[in-house]
Amino acid sequence: MKKILALALCGAMALGLAACGGGSSQGGGEAAEAKPINVCLASEPATLDPHLNSAVDGATLCAHLFSGLAKWDQNDEGVLEIVPDCATELPEGVVNADGTVTYTYTLRDGLTWSDGQPLTAKDFEFAWNRAASPALAADYNYMLEVVKGYNEMWETDADGNLVNPDAKLAVTAVDDKTLEVTLNNAISYWNELLAFPSYYPVREDVVANEAWATDPSTYVNNGAYTMTKWDHNSLITLTKNENYVDADQVKMPEINFYLSDDANNMLTNFENGDWQLIDDVPTNEIAALKDKYPEEFHVDGQLGTYYVCWNVNEDILPADSGLEGTEAEKAREEIRNAISLLFDRNYIVESVAQGGQVPASSFVAMGLTDADGSQFYQNAGSSADFDGYYNVAADALESNYNTAMETLKKYYAFDDASGKFTNFPTMTYLYNTSEGHKAIAEYLQSVLAGVGITMNLENQEWNTFLDTRKAGNFSIARNGWLADYNDPISFLDMWTTASGNNDVQLGKGANVDVKAYSIDLTDLGYDTKVENGTWAETYDVVISDIKSCTDMEKRYALMHKAEDLLMSTGTICPLYFYTDLYMLDDSVQGYFQNPLGYKYFMYCEY
Amino acid sequence: MNPKTLKYIVKRLILAVFTVWVVITVTFFIMHAVPGGPFVGEKAVSEAAQKAMEAKYGLDKPLFAQYTTYLKDVVLHLDFGPSLKQRGRDVIDIITDGLKTSAKLGLIAAFLALIIGVVLGAIAALRRNTFFDRVIMVLTTALISMPSFIMGTLLLVAFAIKMHMLPANGSTAAGLILPVITLMLYPMSYITRLTRSSMLDVLGQDYVRTAKAKGVSRLRIIFGHALKNALIPVITYFGPMLAYIVTGSLVVEQIFAVPGIGRAFVNSITNRDYTLIMGTTIILATFIVIMNLVSDILYKVVDPRITLE
Repeated sequence: MKKILALALCGAMALGLAACGGGSSQGGGEAAEAKPINVCLASEPATLDPHLNSAVDGATLCAHLFSGLAKWDQNDEGVLEIVPDCATELPEGVVNADGTVTYTYTLRDGLTWSDGQPLTAKDFEFAWNRAASPALAADYNYMLEVVKGYNEMWETDADGNLVNPDAKLAVTAVDDKTLEVTLNNAISYWNELLAFPSYYPVREDVVANEAWATDPSTYVNNGAYTMTKWDHNSLITLTKNENYVDADQVKMPEINFYLSDDANNMLTNFENGDWQLIDDVPTNEIAALKDKYPEEFHVDGQLGTYYVCWNVNEDILPADSGLEGTEAEKAREEIRNAISLLFDRNYIVESVAQGGQVPASSFVAMGLTDADGSQFYQNAGSSADFDGYYNVAADALESNYNTAMETLKKYYAFDDASGKFTNFPTMTYLYNTSEGHKAIAEYLQSVLAGVGITMNLENQEWNTFLDTRKAGNFSIARNGWLADYNDPISFLDMWTTASGNNDVQLGKGANVDVKAYSIDLTDLGYDTKVENGTWAETYDVVISDIKSCTDMEKRYALMHKAEDLLMSTGTICPLYFYTDLYMLDDSVQGYFQNPLGYKYFMYCEY
Repeated sequence: MNPKTLKYIVKRLILAVFTVWVVITVTFFIMHAVPGGPFVGEKAVSEAAQKAMEAKYGLDKPLFAQYTTYLKDVVLHLDFGPSLKQRGRDVIDIITDGLKTSAKLGLIAAFLALIIGVVLGAIAALRRNTFFDRVIMVLTTALISMPSFIMGTLLLVAFAIKMHMLPANGSTAAGLILPVITLMLYPMSYITRLTRSSMLDVLGQDYVRTAKAKGVSRLRIIFGHALKNALIPVITYFGPMLAYIVTGSLVVEQIFAVPGIGRAFVNSITNRDYTLIMGTTIILATFIVIMNLVSDILYKVVDPRITLE
């Protein structure tokens, strides 16, 4: 017995020593050449298959590992642009008789995979069909929605079964170097899509192994780097790919992506000088860090909006309002819009969220551009005095409050003595469990309590929350949206009746027959003019018009009209535009990131 | 081994298998009853895509059929299936990766708890009613009453955030220090108290008095007679301690972001990664059941007076 115990103890001791010994060795030794850069974006990525990935940190890794027809680049003036990558150039499309548009790309000479095999147009043809396919069922399959053939691929019968299991996209490898693709109609962001991971090439024989993207030994790619190490939950190392066609332009020899989502840990390593870029910082340290590291603390836009959404079918009118149908819905629209005016977005940003966010007055986020390249959100709404649909300036708070109270007094009993409404139905605010969301929820709750509206708070665990919100089992809920590409449609098509993201339930449930929506597109040359129609007759029509519109100016005008209609319902109460906070060692040169938040280290030196 | 003991062990083994089966069954059906699913995200996937995924992983079949298929795969082929969330990775790979880290963490914690606990307990018993004894008793009582999530958070705030002495993240070797301390304090305190009381008990026994009367040296009495017998209850605590460490690691790994099996388990639930939930549950349940069994058998081995029935 003694022996067994002794053995067990020795074993434990040996393991303990091994544990202490591991990990302390380091690459040391000052290299005369460029040093590898150490960065930390997030914890273990769910996947590094560019087609299955749907996370920003995963996309950053894929952008270093793969090369599509186009890529994001920074020109000498520091302006971001989309430039050809695998393609020799990015030509204009040819409009066909049926309104579809065909693009023909020529691949550059000398393209190879990281294992040395030549890369051909066939690889792109295979890859795009894979990325879009129901067989892969990637989260981002809809990124290829614009390509002809996608809709047939996903067409389902009444039971939800696929009608055309063998459908293919209209993308053809004419020969080894020529790729032809046809889009349903012209779109302004096509070149940007070509730089999106869903459009990266993958090779058929490589991805036949389902586990190909989980280990460096099976990972075959065509970009600036190859994956040389993946210690799960700890570190991914990318090493410069000498087979990459533009290898001479790549300056950074090696990138270490440390896998952690612990902001305190990130900060410690950044301050030690071990890591050169960290993509998160502890919220309670933001203010101090801004002062301490003015050159190294960065706040970038993020194409996203944090907002509160109402369930359109939740009746918030007092029991004795006597209103019904269209009138009732119009009253609710007015009430919801009035409540949106009560909140002080500057306070939320500065005192609650504290992450350098920007107060939002529209749903389409800051950073998305309009037809003329200006900010879409600045042209939203009808007021010349402020951007968007409300004035979110600090000095407008009082007038906003007065306007809101005036509107609410039309519908609810108001007690002058207490300054509160007495018959507003009690509501529940649903949010997913998180300290940050809770703090905002409590602020909203306190504002409403101030005018006599009781709003209870309920938090749910993330997955349950998504389920509840999607099913419309809530009255008000926290919500947020980040765009996948720089086009306002990425914010607008989610509210069509059939969309899976239509959490507000517009055009669904009781709202399906409500005729309270109006749209007039005649000034843009369309026949559509609906006075008091249903959501499907109005919003769905504008969105489908936008999707088939080939005139850029008109298309953006349509998108403004769609947002006007959406915002008039009052079901969306934007609070702030998301920002991306990160810290970057100021000795690092050549770093840039794109509007989607992908970070580029290949041209870095320090 | 006598036939009675053998019969007992066989009986316990059957019971263990039954226990694990119950755990599998209950977890399987409760897991599917919880709202949400593995393919749900902030951005909705289309219904057709959802269906395609469900078909791919057999989630479109009736629940009971899924259950029997799963049971068959696990029992007959030891196949835990692919992860639904980390596509391309098998559950068994994720578990193996996590187990390596967790085993390191758990074994160091168990080892330290045992050594420190026995030493402190023995000293406290020998210095009974002195200041030292009192301090140890007060401290261990406090530590036993403090849940690991509070202890872990306190240590994290103090040593990692305020003093910047140790990393907050448990994915490196130095980062394991705080989780190890958090995890070992409870069993260490327990062992200290256990050793102390059983040592006091033994020291009062006739044979110790006889040894003293015979003029045996103090060291020999302590190590040769007293400690040896005083450790019997400690050995039997080994099983429950390892079980505690396994369950405690669920919390501790989460607090310190240690990439172990406990964290994989918690994350798998958040992600509704059904196959990973089942895989980790089965591994952890089996481990705990085995540890309890081993502990009972050890009891018999170290103390022949005990009969197993």
